[in-house]
Amino acid sequence: MADPVSIAMGQGSSCWGCFQSLVDIHLNLAQVLPALEIKYWQAVADFKLHHLESYEDKSIVVGLYEGMARTEEDIHLLKLLRDKCQVLIAFGSCSCFGGIPGLANFSDIEECYDVKFRENATVTGGKVPSENLPGIAPVVKPNNSFVDIDIYLPGCPPTSKLILTAVTKLLAGEPIELPPHTVCHYCEREKKETPVEKILRPYQGIADPDRCLLEQGYICMGSSTWGLCEGQCVNKGATCRGCFGPPPPILQDHGANSMAMLGTYAPLPSEQIKEQVKDPLGTFYRFDYATSNLGQIRIKREEVKTR
Amino acid sequence: MTSTSLSTTETVDSQGEWEPKIMAFCCNWCSYAGADLAGTSRIQYPTNARILRVNCTGRISPEFILAALNMGADGVLVSGCHPGDCHYTSGNLKARARWALMETAIEQAGVDPRRVRLQWASASEAQVFADGVRTLTEQVRKLGPIRREWV
Amino acid sequence: MTEEKTIRIDPVTRLEGHGSLTLKLGKDGKVKDVQFNVNSTRFFEKFLEGRPMEEAPRIAPRICGICPIPHHLASVKAVEAAWGVSPTPTAVKLRRLMIEAKQFSSHVIHFYALAAPDFVYGPFANPADRNVAAVLRDLPDVAVQAIKMMEFGQELIKTVGAKAVHPTTAIPGGMLTSLKEEDRDFFLGRLEEIQQLTLNTVDLAKKVVTDYLDVITKVAVVPTYYLGLSNKGTLDIYDGTVRVQEPGGEIVADFEPKDYTKYYGEYVSDHSYATHIYYKPAGYPEGIWRANTLARCNVNERMATPLADAALKEMRELVGRPSHHTFAYHYARIVEMVQAFEWIAKLLNDPDICDTDVKVVDVEPKAGNGVGIVEAPRGTLMHNYVSDEKGMLTKANLVVATNNNIAGIEKSLMVAAKQIFEDKALEGLKLPEPMVKK
Ligand code: SF4
Ligand code: SF4
Ligand code: SF4
Ligand code: FES
Repeated sequence: MADPVSIAMGQGSSCWGCFQSLVDIHLNLAQVLPALEIKYWQAVADFKLHHLESYEDKSIVVGLYEGMARTEEDIHLLKLLRDKCQVLIAFGSCSCFGGIPGLANFSDIEECYDVKFRENATVTGGKVPSENLPGIAPVVKPNNSFVDIDIYLPGCPPTSKLILTAVTKLLAGEPIELPPHTVCHYCEREKKETPVEKILRPYQGIADPDRCLLEQGYICMGSSTWGLCEGQCVNKGATCRGCFGPPPPILQDHGANSMAMLGTYAPLPSEQIKEQVKDPLGTFYRFDYATSNLGQIRIKREEVKTR
Repeated sequence: MTSTSLSTTETVDSQGEWEPKIMAFCCNWCSYAGADLAGTSRIQYPTNARILRVNCTGRISPEFILAALNMGADGVLVSGCHPGDCHYTSGNLKARARWALMETAIEQAGVDPRRVRLQWASASEAQVFADGVRTLTEQVRKLGPIRREWV
Repeated sequence: MTEEKTIRIDPVTRLEGHGSLTLKLGKDGKVKDVQFNVNSTRFFEKFLEGRPMEEAPRIAPRICGICPIPHHLASVKAVEAAWGVSPTPTAVKLRRLMIEAKQFSSHVIHFYALAAPDFVYGPFANPADRNVAAVLRDLPDVAVQAIKMMEFGQELIKTVGAKAVHPTTAIPGGMLTSLKEEDRDFFLGRLEEIQQLTLNTVDLAKKVVTDYLDVITKVAVVPTYYLGLSNKGTLDIYDGTVRVQEPGGEIVADFEPKDYTKYYGEYVSDHSYATHIYYKPAGYPEGIWRANTLARCNVNERMATPLADAALKEMRELVGRPSHHTFAYHYARIVEMVQAFEWIAKLLNDPDICDTDVKVVDVEPKAGNGVGIVEAPRGTLMHNYVSDEKGMLTKANLVVATNNNIAGIEKSLMVAAKQIFEDKALEGLKLPEPMVKK
């Protein structure tokens, strides 16, 4: 067998779902794990941060970073991985675009602290904890604003199949080439080019299982989203919420272009569409607010504040 | 999209007063012609607008508008054919629906929706076009530079 | 020892979340303070506000990639409670199938990947060896067995929930998809093998328990309150009332989820972004409770299925009820794993499981306040949402599984640290030879 490839897996503020999806390659683990020399993976191996800090720069071949980086510790780990690894992969949509935790940028951090520590149904008058804890930045900034990313592997989480493909290519030293199609390409539902007359909420009625959900009025982002998931939600009756982000070019404005998409399918008068689509920001920007234009404006606003 | 005409620094006039930067997207078939006519007819309107011609408002994704704001435009104008008159039948109806979504999203994101304006102006409506530019420029002037909106 | 000393363990490994440990030893060598620092928080409660409430089940699972299914379901139950909606009976069965499958695969991964390396290599082995990749190398048969069991659970979740991680099919009023007969038949066909592997795991666990009995019964034995869902005394992870047991073993509360604010206290510690949840009537720190496997086994009289119930009885012979033995959590995990398997088998054999009547049609949003509670592998999980008349979410309060344990973890760490640093208890412990010697 060829020598194992050294790898470090870092976890920023995340949910561990991307790594769970990696573990879900199941029996393939029996091939993949022995081919890897794990240098750091806190959920699996007992290496501590000081181990990682002690490695030579660029001495690790591949680094995977899951999650976004909002705490001082997250940012330190992200930069550390960049220094130590030859190839840095943004692993999952949080790492590529800020992900769902990026929605915290809808609010001011003080408002976030309010509901979390100061006042809710079970808390009154708490203080923001600070002892022996890394500070939390006022906004979620995308990982690529701290370091250069070599490979974006989106998805919330990326599917096990996609991870296996990527890892196999990496181990073989081959480039990772991914099909550019959107989710619709993999969707088994029929489209009939009928304009949408009314937008429905996902619990309304019973959808026809054979027809495009969007054309039935359910907001589905399949046509503006990268289809690396091969349409897993839409083929089980659930609308696409865009968790794989935009098709290449990977940093285009997915939210803005999803609004363009919906306007195309549902050219309704303004008042109607405003009444029927209650939360465009939380719907179309769900996984990539931090890298969108509006999200960037939001981040700049924070910078102006602190300057 | 390039940002050649939109530098990221704030524009000031000769008196050192801040001047709003307006990005205007005009449909080739009506509003761009209208803007042209406004020029040849010497109708006065503020010089703050940089005009970009597109084939139809249906070609405009909210990405263009939001990218302009992100790159430093203080306001964005989109001007197209009247509903029913679109050269490509329904481009402007799509633009209108997208606009409604975008307006809500902008507001949710904490950006004042008065920074953006959608209007319909035919090739002969030079005055309508010019008034639109003026209205938006004055609106944005009151709001101040986008970068300082939250300070 | 003459100087004060601070020991930092950063990060705490083989844990999916973010934690570090700060331990302070005084000049006299006594343990002064133990802190379990949870180092990050992402503010889900805030950004759920303003969303259409039916979107919460599609957002909240991102709190945890190990237990997204419990989040998906606690969330959808909270929405249904707020809007007064009841899902169809088949939908409830499918949801239960999903959550039992999660319980099964999570317990397997926890036992084999997170805990077993300590038992296989011994707690003092080199970090390069003491992990699951090494188990795969040294004990491939055991590893393959574990992988097959995880695969069974995860693939079953994916079949019902569209995605194994962050499922999307539960919706207020039911499910968006029914189970196809061919899919059911596929998993039915796997049952026999998985049952065998499950029983093998029970045997392995029993061996570990006997080998480490000294550790289990002597280290980190910490009396606390316990919290868990209960279906009239039977351990249930999808539905029921919430029970609280005091350290002496008496059940002191047994309440409907909607009444949780009377019993749940949330203490904001100064050194952790995760708050400490406790039994409010007893106050903090007296009312510190623990949730998770052992807690569920403690608060309930019995298991729901025969093999699991037999396993619970065996466990009780060793550790009693309530058991305060922190290391018995591993044992209780195996008992629950058996129950999850038996539930899956029962549901797959249910003649109605493939019915297509999986969703009610007349769901109407309204102003309301709803609580959804289920059991996640790591403990009782509570979602509470308030909506306005259009069904927009205006307020959220979440008490996630792990937060029920943070204070308990700290308490156990304190006891363990005193044993280690003050009583030198480790020296007298009987430890078996590691299964694999390095
Ligand atoms: S991308 Fe999704 S699965 Fe991965 S860490 Fe973020 S929330 Fe979890
Ligand atoms: S829009 Fe959605 S439902 Fe329609 S074809 Fe695309 S993925 Fe399928
Ligand atoms: S269908 Fe959409 S939401 Fe579902 S996994 Fe694919 S990209 Fe994500
Ligand atoms: S051609 Fe003018 S808006 Fe379509």
